[in-house]
This record gives sequence, structure tokens and C-alpha cells, in this order.
Amino acid sequence: MSKTIMIVDDSATMVLSLKSTLEMNGFKVETAGDGVQALTKLKGGVKPDLIITDINMPNMGGLELIKNVRALPGFRFTPILTLTTESQAAKRDEGKKLGATGWLVKPVSGPDLVKVIKQVLPGA
Amino acid sequence: MAIEYKKNLAVFHDVVSVEEAEALLEWLQTKRTAKVDLTDCVHLHPANLQVLMAAKPAIQAWPTDAGLSAWLESALVAR
Amino acid sequence: MNPLLEQFLSEARDGLQDIGEKLMQLENAPADAGLMNELFRLVHTLKGNSGLFDFPEMTRVLHAGEDLMDAVRNGQAAYSRKLADRLLDAMDFIGMLCDEIEADGVTGAAHASVSVHLVKGLRQLMARDEVAGIAERHLAAGITDDTSAIPAAETAASLAASLAADLPLATIPEPARLEAYRRASAGEPLHWLLYTPSEQCFYQGDDPFFLARQTPELLWGGIEARTPWPPLADLDAYCCVLDIHLLSAAPRILLEEQYRYVADQMTLTPVSRFALVLPQGDANGGPVYDDFVSDARNLLAAGDLAGLARNAGTMLELSSPDLWIASALRWLRLVLETEPENRVVLDALVDSLSSLNAPDWTAVLAGWVEPRATHPADPPPGHDHRPLTAAPIESIHEDRPRVDESQVSGDDGVRSVLPILTTAEAEALAAILASQREILALTDTPTWLPGRLKAAAAVLSACLRVSGATDARPALERATATALAENTGAALLAWLDGQFSSSTSSDTRAKEEASTAPVAIAADPPQPWPQPEAESEVKFGRRAEDAIAGPKSLKVDQAKIDRLMNLIGEMVVAKNALPYLAGRAETVFGVRELSRDIKGHHAVINRIAEEMQDAIMQVRMMPVSFVFQRFPRLVRDISRKLGKEVNLVLEGEDTEADKNIIEALGDPLMHIVRNSLDHGIESPEIRRAAGKPAAGTLLLRAAQESDRVVIQIRDDGKGIDPETIKRKAYAKGLIDEATLERISDQEAVNLVFAAGFSTAEQVSDLSGRGVGMDVVRTAVEKVNGTVALTSERGRGTHLSLSVPLSMAVTNVMIVVSDGQLFGVPMDSVVETVRVPRAAIRTIKRSLATVLRGRIVPLKSINALLGLAAPPRSNADDELAVLVVRLGDESVGLLVDDFRETLDIILKPMTGVLSGIPAYAGSALMGDGSVLMVLNVREIL
Repeated sequence: MSKTIMIVDDSATMVLSLKSTLEMNGFKVETAGDGVQALTKLKGGVKPDLIITDINMPNMGGLELIKNVRALPGFRFTPILTLTTESQAAKRDEGKKLGATGWLVKPVSGPDLVKVIKQVLPGA
Repeated sequence: MAIEYKKNLAVFHDVVSVEEAEALLEWLQTKRTAKVDLTDCVHLHPANLQVLMAAKPAIQAWPTDAGLSAWLESALVAR
Repeated sequence: MNPLLEQFLSEARDGLQDIGEKLMQLENAPADAGLMNELFRLVHTLKGNSGLFDFPEMTRVLHAGEDLMDAVRNGQAAYSRKLADRLLDAMDFIGMLCDEIEADGVTGAAHASVSVHLVKGLRQLMARDEVAGIAERHLAAGITDDTSAIPAAETAASLAASLAADLPLATIPEPARLEAYRRASAGEPLHWLLYTPSEQCFYQGDDPFFLARQTPELLWGGIEARTPWPPLADLDAYCCVLDIHLLSAAPRILLEEQYRYVADQMTLTPVSRFALVLPQGDANGGPVYDDFVSDARNLLAAGDLAGLARNAGTMLELSSPDLWIASALRWLRLVLETEPENRVVLDALVDSLSSLNAPDWTAVLAGWVEPRATHPADPPPGHDHRPLTAAPIESIHEDRPRVDESQVSGDDGVRSVLPILTTAEAEALAAILASQREILALTDTPTWLPGRLKAAAAVLSACLRVSGATDARPALERATATALAENTGAALLAWLDGQFSSSTSSDTRAKEEASTAPVAIAADPPQPWPQPEAESEVKFGRRAEDAIAGPKSLKVDQAKIDRLMNLIGEMVVAKNALPYLAGRAETVFGVRELSRDIKGHHAVINRIAEEMQDAIMQVRMMPVSFVFQRFPRLVRDISRKLGKEVNLVLEGEDTEADKNIIEALGDPLMHIVRNSLDHGIESPEIRRAAGKPAAGTLLLRAAQESDRVVIQIRDDGKGIDPETIKRKAYAKGLIDEATLERISDQEAVNLVFAAGFSTAEQVSDLSGRGVGMDVVRTAVEKVNGTVALTSERGRGTHLSLSVPLSMAVTNVMIVVSDGQLFGVPMDSVVETVRVPRAAIRTIKRSLATVLRGRIVPLKSINALLGLAAPPRSNADDELAVLVVRLGDESVGLLVDDFRETLDIILKPMTGVLSGIPAYAGSALMGDGSVLMVLNVREIL
């Protein structure tokens, strides 16, 4: 069964890039433009196996999203990766503290992305 | 479901996720003589492994996946 | 262009725009942390996106910008005007790169030096220590990379470390240890990894077991409980109490990479392969080994390693594999196999066989240095762990389909008939004739066929007129009558072929079929509306600061909206055919009921079409902010350049109007604003001297007033001096002496709109390029707008532009003249009157009449259009006069008759016709004929 991955990023370019890579690798992809949208989708029954979220977003950023996702029933254990740049080490750690599993460093190349996903998603 | 509960036997299939650990623990709490069949298991989340380690059910069959089998033996075979 | 790149460019442009706006806002509120964060986020996003492509210059500059914004955000660098300047320059550069990418798919290599310069400028603004910190970070990353090449001669050290760490190496099964030794002796590094996942790690989505199982070069791994298990009833399955340890032959860097998310929960200890040489088993029993040991020593001394290996093999066969001694023999055999040159190790192993104790490797190897020669295969620095750089995404640059504008070339057949035409005219004529031929050759019989035939006949008649062949007109009229009677185009086609040599026709038609030359107007897919400039994308307020909730807006390609617009236009036309159909049902076929039904349905379809049209109009609406948003930057730059201080106030940016209108406002507004800055607002010194605040104020305000948008531009500058204007106008010959004496100040001020007027004493590089306000007026009038200017000397200038909300639907009045129908836009029509011929006077060879006490000059529309026919009067000898407004004046147009008013979709003229200013455009009528809409201002 193909795994579902949710991408949360306010940059449509980033979403499109990740989405096409993931879909090419057989994943199902859900997208959201910010934390609020993501939460709405999750509450509405979307059940991704993995969430990849940007940190800096309007309305609700990635860190707040992580906090909120962890509080949702059914998402206690869902792996969450943050999308960061190399200069955002502090954000990565903060994300980890709030319940993120790990992080991706932008720009994320296709092979890197798949590699990391295979690392955090058993059966992917 | 990745764990199939038979009368006295839990059969693990494919990837057993973290979510299943609670049910496994409950099942093992009531079945003191339970057995486990891991033949078709390719991975299990360590939450499940912890439960197996603590409950020590008899392992009726080890996984055919040699790598997994080696790991599990290190954890589940009393030395 | 691939969709990802397209998406990137469109988003980058939005981003750049936003960055510019935020920087402007920061100038007024430099301490606003929220703005700063927002700005950082924008630059950050843009940089992240640019990294997806291979645009190194872009990424480099954005990276520097991001670092700088981060520094400012964290208080490590101060926000300053200089900073804003440099960032804006950098963003301009990025914008330019975007344009290049859009045009060519790549960025030119020539920008490298510019980008380096920009980066330098940005980095300079960061506090020194910050730069150093970043450099250090980069340096540190480099060092970590280098450590991947672990010197193989570290064995002694790693031995000490692995012994000191008291690793439970003995718990590793012997086969795994043998394999590890084999690989280590081949030069691979060995590491013992202890991973103690945090108790809460499952709640972070971790699967420590899965992570461990994927450890690169895993040799062995085991799992243990950290604490004794509680009774099952008290067990918390989700509190992780497992310890994972493993042995790996992967370089440290790879292991650190694998465990990077849990670096704090993992310890790595280098392991010497010798620490793995731990014979295990039953120490008692088995054959006597003394002889073997002494033989072995002799063989070693003699260098007969093959003999030693044979002996060891024999001994192994004799021993039970569970014995300690058997284990030691297996190790001996392995060392003989893997590193036969290593005498120190072999000696020690043979010694341990006699002592039945594992070798004390610390003592054995003291001072021993691993011979490099035994390590032929130092692991290559782990190259595969490095972050892979994004592969450049191939952008397929497709040539845009070029519109084939092939015209049927002038051909001799036509030219011979029409010797008086120039070549270009003959070509155009040939094209028109070819189109008519094609129209007439159509074999379908739509209800609007008569309209189509009449339209073709009208065109042909006009062709005859321009070519001077008016004597052929009666024949054409006969052919038209026949065609209408037969309800086919055959008669006209025959006439056409006869009039313009038939060889031409077949030739032309052959060419016609092979090319994409203009097709019949009636059957023509409507020409697209004029395409806007590249940067003008449809943005339906998808700003980030818009309301949080609510439906997400869609970004739709301009062409799609235009297509919808065209389709609804066709729909309206098609719908208008229904009343004709109803009429035919009743008059031709005598079915009244059917006629009524058709009319009923027409009403329904009419309503839907109108709503649809309205809906599409709504889609085309965009906020005035689209043109306003460029002004903060513009005003800032220009006022700085001029040494003036200007506060720009924008109001009513949400006011919406049709896209075409908004776009048409761009240039006039730009010109007006530049004028205000250049000539209106004074320098701070002058202002102070005049008792005004040093900083001038420029207000741009948009508001909707019924079906128009009014944009006001008000400055508090020096205003316009009517005397100066008057003198200037007189000097330029725009007014005569009498006028100079007579005109009011307001009229004088309005002279700035006169063509060729420019008040600038000195032509500056900013506004006056010999172009005056007349350009503004023309541009605004083009979209049916008006400009009004008032000025108070010393107090400022006030301009007011009024434009329609939408120009897509035009309400026209249909008039008849010389047997043809023309449309006149209703917004220029004042009234329609019938004037008795007697009431028309000739004043100085011009016609005029008096309407309600005012003299109204009269012009014959036929004369204006070059039609020879005189105006026709009705039975009462009254002439139809269409009074139109022309600025402040009224002019009467003499026409033959008035018809109804209509809502039409005005199509601008294209091709050859676009050069004829007399027409504002054309529209399709319900019966399929074409209505030409006059540009009243132009023909007068």
C-alpha cells in the first residue's frame, strides 16, 4: 500500500518540487499552504504516514503546527520532518523538542528526500 | 491489521506499527501462555518489541528475514 | 518551460514584490519585529526555491540577503537605509535574472561578477563577529568532511579507546567478530555504537529499531532493556527503555549522518580489530596442544605459514567447536589468512594457545604501528553521504508558437485590375478579397446567412470604392440581390470571380488553404484580447496578509480568462440570433407558437448569459494596488535622487476595476507621479521658506463612484502657475494673442494637456522627455476615461482620473448612413434629434444648427468617413442629428437614421484594420453581420 505524505509549505514552488519527486517515487501526496490548512486537513480525516513541514509560514508556522499535530488523536507517533535551511540549526532543535522526528535541509534533492523518507518510514 | 490474533497465537505480518503495541500488550496481559509467530514479519516498531521482551511469550517461529531475526534473537532469547 | 520553473518564476515575482513592499514599510517602522520576520521569511523562501534550480548567481545573492536579514532579525546588524538600498538592488538583480530565465531558460554567465559585488555589499553590513561565526560554521562543516578519511594507523589509539570503554564486545557472536576482523584488516574502520533512545522518542515519530537496522555496514546489533521489566500490568509500551548497540564497519561520518536526528542519544567508540580477538568456549578438554604450539612456533620462525595453517586446520577438525581452544584456532586461521605478514599478532595468538588466555593486546601492540602496506584499501572519503546538490532541472525552452502572419501577397490579377493602388494596399485588398471568397464559399446555411451575405457585399462594395471601380457597383448590387434571394453565396462568388480575375481566385484560394491567412470574419474564432505585458499576471488578491480563512484564490493563466471572455462574447452573439429565428418562425413558416417558445427560451438564455458575463467580468477585476504598489519604491528612489522629501500616501488600493483598465492606468499614473515629484513638490529648503513642512505629501487615492473608478493624485507642491502656462503656450503657438488675453486661469492650466506642451524649464531625465500631459490624456481617453486637473498656486496640484470599471461590454447606438450600419459608443452620445433641413445654416462653409440656444456644429458622417453620398432626410425633410460630446464641446453628426442601442462585446481591430483609427473596433451582431464601431473622437 502506498504511503501518504503531507507537504506543508507556503511556497508553491517548494510544494510542487517535493510533490513531483514523491509522486514519482510512488507516494501519495497531500499538500497544505500553511499550518492552519494542514491542521484543518488532518482534522478532516487526512491521515498521512509522514508530514513534511516548512518552518516559516504565514498564519501558522511549522513549529506551532508540530505542537498542534502532536496533540491530535491519531498523530502521536506520526513522523514529522521539518524543512530548514543550513542556517536554521536552532529551529531544527526546537522542532525536535516539540516533537519533530528530524529535518530536511533545503534545497532537498530528489534522492536525498527519498533516502530520508525511507529512513523514517518503515515499509516505504 | 499487521497482528492477527488467533486463539492463543499472535501472528505478525509485514510492518507492525507503533499503534499496535497497546493492543498487543493488552492481549498478552490476558494470555499468559501466548505464542508468537513472526514468520512474515519484516519489521516491528520497538514499542511492540518492548512488549514482547517484557511479556516473554514463546516464539513459535522466527522471521524469515534473517537480519530482523538476528536482531530479535539478541533481544528475545534469554542468555 | 517546465511547470516547476514556471511556478518558481511566478512565485519569485510575487516574492520580490512583497520584499520591496516590506522594505518600504520598514523604512517607516524600522523596529517592527513582525515586519522583519516577514521580510526574512520572504527572502528565505525565495532562496530555498532558487536552490531547486541551477541558478548559482541567484542563490548566492539570496543567500547573502537571507544571512543579512537573519542578522538584522536577531539584532546582530542594524537596519539602515543603506541596507534597504542594497537589498533592493539585490532584489532588482534577482528580478532581472527571473526575466532572463523566463526568456532564455538560463541565466547568463556574465552576472557572476555582479552577484559577487552584491554579495559583498550585503555581507559588509553584517557585524564582523556574525560573519566570522558563519565562516566558522562553514569551516567546521569542512573539517567534519575531512575526518571521514580516518588514518588507518590509528589502531593503537582505537584499541586503547575500545579497551578503556569496556565494551561488551564478548557478547558479539564469534562469526560476527571474525567477519568484523576480516573487514577491519582490509582497512575498514570499526565502530561500536550505543544508541539509547530517549523515553519519549516514540512521541517524536522515532522508530529507533528501524533506524538501527539501517545502520550502514552493520556487522552485528543487539537490543537490551535498560532496566528490569516491570510486571506486565505496569508496562508502558510507549515509554522507550531499550538500549541498542551495534558494530559497524562504516566510517564515522556515515554513522553520524545516519544518526543525525538523534546525535544526543548515541555514542560512537572506535574499535580496534584486535579487541575482537576474544576466543570463547569451554577451557577444559580436547586434545593436547603442547606439540601443536611448539610446532607452530617453529613453523612461524621458518616462515612456513602454509604449514601452520594446515596444522591449525587439522587441530580444528580434532577439536570440538565449542572449546575455547577451537575458538582460538579459528582466530589464528583468520589472521593467517588475512594478514600473514603480521608476525606480532600471529606470535601473540600462538602464545595464547599455550596459555589458554586471550592475548593482552595492549601489551602485545605497545609501540606497534600498523603497517600501511596491509591496508591497501583505505576507505575512500565517504562521498555518498554528502548532500547531493540539486541536479539542474532541464528546462525545455520551447519556441513560442509564432503567429503566422502570412498574408496573401499582392498578386498580379488584383493589381492589374487596380492599377492605382500601392503594392501594400493591393496586398491588403487581395487578403480581404480572399477572406470574402472564403466566407461566400461556406456551404452551411445558418439563420444569419443573410447577414453574412450582406456583410460580404458591403465589404466588396467598399473594395470597389477604394479601387475606384465604382462603375461595377450595379453588378454587385444585382449579385447581392440574387444571393439573398437564393440564400447562398454563389451569385456573389461568381461576381467576385468575374470582377477580380478568376485565375487569381483559384490561385489565391490554393494559397489560402495552405496558409493560416485570416479566415472569414463571421466564422472567425474571435481574436484574443491584447495580451498584457509579461509581468502583469492576474492576481486576485492572493497576498499573504489577506484574511486567514475563506476560500483560497486561484491563480489563473491570463489566456484562459481571455478565452472565457471570448466565449461569452460568442455566446451573447449566438443568443442574439434567437429573436431572428423567432421572427423567421413566425413570418416565414407561420408557426406563432414556436416563435413564442423560442422567445421564451431566449429570455432564459439571455438572463444566464448576462449573469455569466457578469461573473466573468468579476474574475477579470483586479485591485488598483496592482499599479499602486510600484509607487512606494518609485517615489522613494526619485525623491532621493532629487534631494526631496516626500511622504507617499496610498488610499483605496482595494478598489477594483477590469484588468485592462487597471493596466492602462499604469503609465499615465507613473507619468503624473513623476511630474509631481519633478515639478510639483519643492526641495525641503524652498518648502521651509514657504512655511510648509519640509517633507511634501503625495496622495494617491482610488475610489469607486457608481460604474467608474476615480483616481486622485494630489500633491502639496508649488502648483501650476497659469501665467507661466499662458506665456509658454503663446510662445509655442498653441494659443493666439486673443486667447491669451481672454482665457481663465483654469483654462490656462488645462493647456498642459495640449499636445506638444511641456512645462519643464529643463528636461530632466526623470519625467520630461519632451512628453507632456497630452500623453496622459490620450492614454486615459483610450480606455474611455477622463482627466481633470486643478491647481492652486503655492498649494499644490490635484489630478483626477475617471475610468470605467470595465470596458469589456460597450453600450452602442446603431446609426445608419449610406446604407451601412455603424455603432457609436453611448458614453459619447448626448442626444438624438431630428432637425428640419431649413434649420441648418452654413457658417463659414461649415454646417451648424441651434439646439436649445446653443450653436452646435454639424458634420456629415459620410463626409467624415469618405463616403460620397449626401445625408438623407426623412419624409418630413428632417435630418437625423446624433449629438456627441467631444471634451466640453458638443458636435452634431449628420446620419441617415437612428436604430436601437445594443450591448456589444467590442473587439479591437486587428491586422490591416488596426491601423485605421476611425474605428474603435468591431462587434458581431445577432444576425451574423459585422458592426463597425466608430471612434468618434478620431473621426472628428
